[in-house]
Amino acid sequence: MSDATFAVVPDAGRRAPGSLGAFAKARRFFAELRDAVVQAAVSLVSHKLRAFLTVIGIAIGITAVILIFMVESGMSAGFARQLSTLGPNTLFVHKWRWGANGNDWWKYKDRPQISMLDLRALQQNTTLPVAIAPMISTNATVSYGNKDIKGVDVRGTVEGYLDATGWQIRRGRFLTALDDELGANVCIIGADLEDAFFKGVDPLGQTVHAGPNLRCEVIGIFGRKGNSFGQSQDLRLVVPLSAFMRTFGAKRGLVIAVVAPDGKVRETEDEVTSVMRNARHLSPDQEENFSVNRQDKLLEGFNQMMMATNITGILVGIITAIVAGIGIMNILLVSVKERTREIGIRRALGARRTTILLQFLCEAVMVALIGGFFGIAIASGAAWLIDTLSPMPAAIDPRVVIGGVAGSAFLGVVFGLWPALSAALLQPIEALRYE
Amino acid sequence: MALIELHHIVKTYDLGLSKVPALRDIHFSIERGEFVAIVGQSGSGKSTLMNILGCLDTPTEGQYRLSNRDVSTLSDDELADVRNLEIGFVFQSFQLLPRASALENVELPLIYRGVSKKERRERAVDAMKLVGLEDRMKHRPAELSGGQRQRVAIARALVTQPSLLLADEPTGNLDSQTGEEIVRLFLELHGRGNTIVLVTHEPKLAARCPRAVRIVDGLVIADGPGREVAMANAEALGAEALAQFLAADKAAQGARP
Repeated sequence: MSDATFAVVPDAGRRAPGSLGAFAKARRFFAELRDAVVQAAVSLVSHKLRAFLTVIGIAIGITAVILIFMVESGMSAGFARQLSTLGPNTLFVHKWRWGANGNDWWKYKDRPQISMLDLRALQQNTTLPVAIAPMISTNATVSYGNKDIKGVDVRGTVEGYLDATGWQIRRGRFLTALDDELGANVCIIGADLEDAFFKGVDPLGQTVHAGPNLRCEVIGIFGRKGNSFGQSQDLRLVVPLSAFMRTFGAKRGLVIAVVAPDGKVRETEDEVTSVMRNARHLSPDQEENFSVNRQDKLLEGFNQMMMATNITGILVGIITAIVAGIGIMNILLVSVKERTREIGIRRALGARRTTILLQFLCEAVMVALIGGFFGIAIASGAAWLIDTLSPMPAAIDPRVVIGGVAGSAFLGVVFGLWPALSAALLQPIEALRYE
Repeated sequence: MALIELHHIVKTYDLGLSKVPALRDIHFSIERGEFVAIVGQSGSGKSTLMNILGCLDTPTEGQYRLSNRDVSTLSDDELADVRNLEIGFVFQSFQLLPRASALENVELPLIYRGVSKKERRERAVDAMKLVGLEDRMKHRPAELSGGQRQRVAIARALVTQPSLLLADEPTGNLDSQTGEEIVRLFLELHGRGNTIVLVTHEPKLAARCPRAVRIVDGLVIADGPGREVAMANAEALGAEALAQFLAADKAAQGARP
């Protein structure tokens, strides 16, 4: 090296303070940022236990929040799938009002069941509906050969069922008007029954037993629908309404599905209501003793439930954020205290307040991000376990990952700000003298 | 134009109930290329003066001009830049970052100036060579001796090519032999044209500086060639010490039966 390097440099060529060029400023910022990141990493590594405890706190919190929202989105998805089977144009005439508050139970309990008379009235007196399908159902044991399956969803219905519900036939055929008129002993089975009974056998034409004394021939197989709320929808058997009544009696009420033409749902609802009122001889001042349900009413109830879950999730999230944030604040306050002298040294060497602020914010964000990554990792593991071990589908949404990372970084900044500011505002002399 | 101009500097610490004057009327200037010792007992105000000279503190009254600029009007950020560009600090307790290597410590002030990584490295290596530590660059401060640490601190002060090298009791934490090496290094740096202000309480050290300013109770009471100031000080101290000894002796005799 040349000795001239360390001779006094004349004023010429030396910039006045605060007049760094934009390029040099940018370079200074990145140099300081890089230094801050390195210092933060060194600080965390040299206090592994302290950092680890804080990280654990953040990770648990992030895990909890992710899991809550994961369960919630799983429920929503299941519900949406189920709704899509109902069809948006379908009205359901039922004794019960869907999505009703539990307190109203007594009000609906004493209503008369929807009967065959109501069905006849609707079939004869309405003009708008595209299809009308009565449905009645029970749980019964179904057997084939020497195999019994309990708890099968056995339904009686007619021709229009497919239009009203969106179910599809994979093989064979569905019920016809004639099947119902004759009370034919035929049935359509769900995919689960097919799997259980007919390994290597063509189900079509086979005879199964349902309930106490119904023998019926398989004429069709439904396409597979999968699970909803953890329950299979494919464990089902559909027979003609008349055959169902003959076997299980008519005491159970009907649900009558009425399919409205596109864009005429409201008109159809009015028509159905008036026909039903007439059929039940209700005078104008009497309340209805039946309900015409639409799926959006079901949606209302569901949305209320989801809102409760949402609020729980948000509350847990807020509490978690505060607890984790206090952890971050604590680790940072200790770090600032420990490095007071270092702050003084840096300030004496020309670090500005923003430099010090940046340094400690970096440390806070780093702790928070490490916690966030652990949290996401634990939640992913939990999701995988739930997915493999339970019937509930669970998966981590990439948006959740992005949200978790962004959220923890934000947490670091918010809770790191105060300690970092207190470091930046230290007087250089006092910081230098600190023991 | 002098590098440092102090115009009637007053610094008063407000302790709420009372106001304590640390500097009462400091008025002198330092030219470029001078090597000045500021000497005084602890409590004399020399540390306060050094903080003001180093732009770590601002005077209550008076004006401090560094490189012909009034420093008392600058914002906190501008003061930081002045410290970075104009001043190189050497402290009694070295003040190195414990977790950074010697070389990283020397590079640090250049980070705050936006110097590229490559140039930082080159200049830091040059500064380390200058203080004779080219074989200790990767060492942590804890792995270095006191004298070596102070050399690293001097390299860090020099790496920015400051207008002013400000040393606060640089030999205070060193044994006499190591202290001597550091003093020689300062004399050598002065020989190369650096302006150095050295704050010390040791008259012996002040005696070796071309110029010394003696401060007592916040006032400059002597300013001249280091040797003369130190001698005058020693005489004053000698008389005082003799008086103290006599008083103690008398008290001891009086106590005897």
